Amino acid sequence: MASSSSSSLSSTSLPPAMEDGEYGNWAELPPELTSSILHRLGAIEILEKAQKVCRSWRRVCKDPSMWRKIDMDNLGDLGSMGYDLEVMCRHAVDRSQGGLVEIDIWYFGTDELLNYIADRSSNLRSLRLIMCYPIADEGFVEAVVKLPLLEYLEVTYGSLSGESLKVAGQSCPNLKTLRLISNPDPKFNDEEFNDEEALAIAESMPELRHLELFGNTLTNTGLNAILDGCTQLEHLDLRKCFNIKLSGDLEKRCSERIKDLKRPNDSTAGYPYGFNISDLTGPNDYYCNDYDYFDFGDF
Amino acid sequence: MSKSEKKIVLKSLDNEAFEVEKAVALQSQTIWVMCEDKCVGNEIPLENVTGQILAKVIDYCKKHAVVDGDGDESSEELKNWDTEFTKNMDQSTLFNMILAANYLNIKSLLNLTCQAVADKTKTIDEFHTFLNIENNFTPEEEAQICQENLWAFDD
Repeated sequence: MASSSSSSLSSTSLPPAMEDGEYGNWAELPPELTSSILHRLGAIEILEKAQKVCRSWRRVCKDPSMWRKIDMDNLGDLGSMGYDLEVMCRHAVDRSQGGLVEIDIWYFGTDELLNYIADRSSNLRSLRLIMCYPIADEGFVEAVVKLPLLEYLEVTYGSLSGESLKVAGQSCPNLKTLRLISNPDPKFNDEEFNDEEALAIAESMPELRHLELFGNTLTNTGLNAILDGCTQLEHLDLRKCFNIKLSGDLEKRCSERIKDLKRPNDSTAGYPYGFNISDLTGPNDYYCNDYDYFDFGDF
Repeated sequence: MSKSEKKIVLKSLDNEAFEVEKAVALQSQTIWVMCEDKCVGNEIPLENVTGQILAKVIDYCKKHAVVDGDGDESSEELKNWDTEFTKNMDQSTLFNMILAANYLNIKSLLNLTCQAVADKTKTIDEFHTFLNIENNFTPEEEAQICQENLWAFDD
């Protein structure tokens, strides 16, 4: 087995250049080059396609270095894709053998999954939870206290309380970036004015450099608290935070303190998730067709 | 420095000679080291690259040398040029471009070509077909892959 042609390739050997018109012998590409290509694919493409191509590719896909970053990006068509992303994600985490540094989870995920990751990934620096509706306060808090090296946290369209954010801030002293992206559509917000999240951030995250509060319900009170508490802040995105009235002293404070300030009415062009329901659903009508899925997920 | 010293001749595997500005060629770390060593004359033999591929590599280096030097083209334009550059490359050319970029140690070109392959494979279901790789798994390995595949729904 060890004598197979692909396994004898060392990283310095170079396949000879080919005559015009031949196919490239991709299976015999030096492993570090195969790895460089496969690192540009998402975890689902690696597990479902790339590792099934041939033995040498599978060997690259099994290497823990392939799994320092796991991106579970998908089209959101959970019902029709034919596999269970939660099981797949656990498998990917197993392959990282404790070396996981960054993970992006899209449209799925439970408290159990989050804790499975946290229990095996004490080196995690970046956690992005994008529309992971079933993840709730209890599971998040239990997991985040196990991630002391976290520097980047994103919660997009989640439902975490201010108290949970406070625990994150207290448990992750290196936290430099927080993206807390809410749906600016008023029907998704229970309360019209709420500074709970802003006050939790102000109290527990003094090292923040970069804060995005897209569509948040905070008011001028919350913003003032953040400017007081997060003295290192350089980038602040307040787009769609319509309770903020930037004028007078507060506006002056923001302009003086923040290098890169996005105001509530600034353009949302180029924003990755869109900002209204039709932008968000994209081609799959995720929200409309699978809405019940989230209700079940909460139980 | 006389005018002739600014030029350098790159010779491909199949003995095709390309005269290029030194600044263009020196984007290759491999060529840079060869020139530093002074153990080569004005002509540098590149034993792993065919003329057909070397011509494309030189096109890339010319484009990027001008931009890096003069700043007369925006990074946006350069990005578009890069996209066009790889857009219609067949997989065999991409394969050889990756090997050449690696051998010549031109990091940005290696990134560009690896990304192009990843982008092309992303859009298709069957990697085998696109890359023309023969599935060489043993029956035991096939079984192991199936066994691992716990995330697949049974239906």
